[in-house]
Amino acid sequence: MEYEISLLTSMAISVLFALSLNLITGFCGQISLGHAAFLGIGAYLSALLSKAGLPFLATLPLGMLLAGVIGVVVGLASLRVRADFLAITTMGVGFLFVGIVRQQEWLGGELGVSAIPDSGLSKTGFMLLSLGLCLVTAALCIYIRKSWMGRVFNGVAEDEDTMRVLGIDVPRYKLAAFAIGTALAGLAGGLYAQHLKFIGPDSFGFVESVTVLSMVVVGGIGSVVGVAFGAAVLSALPAWFQFIGDYKLLVYGGLLFLMMRFSPGGMASIVTRVVNSRNKAQGDRT
Amino acid sequence: MLFLELTAQGLVQGSIYALVALGLTLVYGLLRILHVAHAALFTLGGYLGVIVTNATGSLALGFAIAMVAAGLTGIAMYRLCYEPILKQPPFVALIASIGLYIAFEELFRIIFGASGLSYQAPPLQEQVVLFGGLQFKQAELMVMAGTAVIIGVLGYLQNKTRIGVACQATVSDPQMAESFGIKLRQVRDINFFVGSALAGFAGVWVALLNNLVEPTMGSVPSYKGLAIIVLGGMGSVRGTLLAALVLGVVESFGTIYLGKLLDRNAIAFAFLIAVLMVRPQGLFARR
Amino acid sequence: MTMTQQTLLRVAGVTVRFGGLTAIDNVSFDVHPGELLGLIGPNGAGKTTMLRAITGVVRATHGDVTLEGDTLNGLPIHKRIQKGLSLSQQLVKPFREISVLDNVALAAGASRTRSPLKALLHVSQKEEAIIGREMLERVGIAAYADQKPGIQPLGILKRLEMARALALKPKLLLLDEPLAGLNSKEANALASTIADINRQGVTIVLIEHNLGEVMRICQRLVVLDNGRKIASGEPRAVMNDPAVRAAYLGGDTIAEAQQPTLVAAGGKHA
Repeated sequence: MEYEISLLTSMAISVLFALSLNLITGFCGQISLGHAAFLGIGAYLSALLSKAGLPFLATLPLGMLLAGVIGVVVGLASLRVRADFLAITTMGVGFLFVGIVRQQEWLGGELGVSAIPDSGLSKTGFMLLSLGLCLVTAALCIYIRKSWMGRVFNGVAEDEDTMRVLGIDVPRYKLAAFAIGTALAGLAGGLYAQHLKFIGPDSFGFVESVTVLSMVVVGGIGSVVGVAFGAAVLSALPAWFQFIGDYKLLVYGGLLFLMMRFSPGGMASIVTRVVNSRNKAQGDRT
Repeated sequence: MLFLELTAQGLVQGSIYALVALGLTLVYGLLRILHVAHAALFTLGGYLGVIVTNATGSLALGFAIAMVAAGLTGIAMYRLCYEPILKQPPFVALIASIGLYIAFEELFRIIFGASGLSYQAPPLQEQVVLFGGLQFKQAELMVMAGTAVIIGVLGYLQNKTRIGVACQATVSDPQMAESFGIKLRQVRDINFFVGSALAGFAGVWVALLNNLVEPTMGSVPSYKGLAIIVLGGMGSVRGTLLAALVLGVVESFGTIYLGKLLDRNAIAFAFLIAVLMVRPQGLFARR
Repeated sequence: MTMTQQTLLRVAGVTVRFGGLTAIDNVSFDVHPGELLGLIGPNGAGKTTMLRAITGVVRATHGDVTLEGDTLNGLPIHKRIQKGLSLSQQLVKPFREISVLDNVALAAGASRTRSPLKALLHVSQKEEAIIGREMLERVGIAAYADQKPGIQPLGILKRLEMARALALKPKLLLLDEPLAGLNSKEANALASTIADINRQGVTIVLIEHNLGEVMRICQRLVVLDNGRKIASGEPRAVMNDPAVRAAYLGGDTIAEAQQPTLVAAGGKHA
C-alpha cells in the first residue's frame, strides 16, 4: 500500500505542476522553458523554512508568494522581448536559477538540501493533502477558463495585437498569467520537497522544464483535463513499466516529437476527433 | 597576461559556438524555427569523427564522413520533422525539435554507452607557442582559423552567388521567390545541409580538443547556440558570429571573476538576459 | 471664429519618419463630432501610416494627436482605445476559435476586462451577448451569430470587424479600407451600412480606395499624397482640385469618381 500512496502523491504533485504551466502556456500562449525554476523556488524555500523550524503548512503559502513575485519579475522581463525570444529567455531564467543555487553554500550547493523535517502528516494524510490541492488547482483553472480572464487569455494566445486594438491591456494579463502560474508552481515545489525529503539543483534544470512542458503539450495545450491526464500518465510511466526506467528520456523525447508531428493538439485533440467522428457516424446513420 | 589568455580561450570556445550557431541561424532565418535538434548533429559529427579516425587512421576522412553524414541527417530532419508542420503555430516546431534532440541524445547513450569514446591516437595535440608566451594546441588554432575561413566563404556565397541570393529571396518572400522559379525545397535542403555539416565539423573539433565524445556533449552548445542567435539578432550571419565570439570571451572572463556566484551556463544566460533588457532586438540586429 | 464646431480628433503637425524615409510630412486635420470623414490618396500616400499614427501602432516623430482635447502622444494602443478610439482593421482578424457573437461580446466586455482582477471575478456573458446581438443587427449579420468565423465570406467578416469595433461604443470609429476585396455590389451595400451607422450618431474616419463609394457617403474628404496633405473639403470640390487629379493621374479610380451617381444607381447588377 505504501508504494501506491507514494505514487499517487507524485502524480498529484506532477499534475499540479503541469496545470500551473498550462495556465501560462496553454491559456495565455506564453511559452516558458524555465518553469522548473519556480518549482525549485517553492521547494527550496519550503525546505529551508522547515529546517528553520517553521511548520510545513505555513511554508506553502510563503513558497507561493516568493515564486509568484519572482514570476512577475520574469514576466516583466519577458514583456520586453519578442515572442520568439520568450522561450529562450525563460530557458535562460531556468539556467540562471540552477547556476546560482549550485554555487551558494547556504543553499546546499551541489549537494542540495537534505533531511527535510517531517510535515507531521501521515503518508496517507500527505497524499490526501496533495490530491486535495491538486483538485483545487484544477477547479481554479476551469473557473479561470470560464471567466472573463479566460476569455481574454484565449484572445491573447490567438492574436494579441488584435486584443490591444480591442482595448485590452495585454501586458498586464500576461503578467497575471505568470503570477498565478508561477505561484502554483511554487506550491507544487513545497509539496515536492516534503515528498522527497531531499532536493538538489539538478531536480530543477532544463530537463525538468522540458518534461513538464511535454506533459502539457502531450495532454493537449490549454485543456485542463487533457493536461491533468497527460501529467498523471507521464509521471507514472516509469513506475508502470519498470523496464522503461532507463529509457524514460527516450520515451519522452519520442513522444514529444511524434505528438507534435502528428497531433499538435495533444491527447485532448485526439479524443475530440474520435468523439466527433463517432458523432458524425451516428448522425449519418440516422 | 591573464587577460590575453582569457581572451584567447574565449575566442577558441567562441569559434566552436559560432560553428554550431551558424546552422541555427540559417534555419531560423529561413523558417523562423528554433532548431534545437541541431545539436544532435554536432554530437553525431563528433562520434563519427572518432569512429572513422580510429578505424582508418585518417582524420581527414573522419572529417569528411562526419560532415556529409551530419549534412544528410540535417536534410532528413527538415523533410521528416519540419516540412510537414510548417503551417502550425511556432511552439509545435520548437517542441518537436526538443523531443527529437532528447531522443537522439538518448540513442547515442544507448548505442555508444554513457561514458563516451576517445581517439586512440589524437592528432594535432602539439603545443604551438605564439607571441606573449601564449600557448595553443594546434587543434585550437586550426579551429579558429577554420571558422574564420568558413564564415568568410559563407558570407561571399550568400551575397555574390546565385545560390546565395536565392537563399535570401526565399527568406524574405517565399511565394515571390517561387514564382521566380526558385525551388523552395532545394534552397531549404541546401541550407540544412550546410548548417548541419558545419555542426558536424564543430563536433569533430570538440572531440579532438577534449579527446572525448559523449552523448550529452551537444546539450551545452544547443542551449548556448540558441542564446547566441538571440544575442546576435536572429537570422544575421555576421551578428551570430560576433555574438558567439563575444559570448565565448564573456564566459571566459565571467567564470574567473564571477565563478563564486554563478556557474558557467548561468553566466552566459545572465549576460543574454541583461543584453535583452537593454536591447530587446539583440546586440547586432540588422533592423 | 464664429461657428466653431467642436473638434473630436485633432491631428496637428504630425510627421512620421522611418529610417531615412518620411512617410508623413507635417499633416494636420480635424475631425468633427458626427461627421463621416474620408481619408484618401493614391497608393503609398501614407493613409495607413497616418491611421497607425493615430492608433499608436507607429510613433509620430513630431506633432500631436488629441482626442477631445486629451493628448494621445506616448500612449500605448490599448490606452488610446480605452480613451474612445476604435479600429476596424483592413486585414480582418476574427478570433477563429469562438463564434461570431462571442467575438463581438468579447469587445463589448471592455469594462469587465479593464483589469485582470475584475475579469477574474466575472463569469457571466449575458449582458455582453445582448449588446453583441445588437451590434450584429446594426451591421446586418445577426443571422450568423452562432457560427464560427472561419468559413464565412469576406463580406461577412468585414461586417464582423465593424461590429466588434462598434461594440466598444467608441467616440471615434476608424475604418481601414472596409471595402477592399469586395465586389461592387457588396461594397455598395457595406458603404450604405457605414452611412447608416454614421447617421445614428457615430463619428467615422474612413480610409478607402474605392472613390465611387467615398464620394457617395462622405461629407468631407482629406487627401494625402506622398505623405503630405494636398486638399481637404467637400468631396466634389476636392475631386475637381487639379492637384488631386494630378496625384491620381492614370488611375481607374478617377473615372469612377467622375460618375458617382452612375455607380450608385446602376451598380445593383447581380
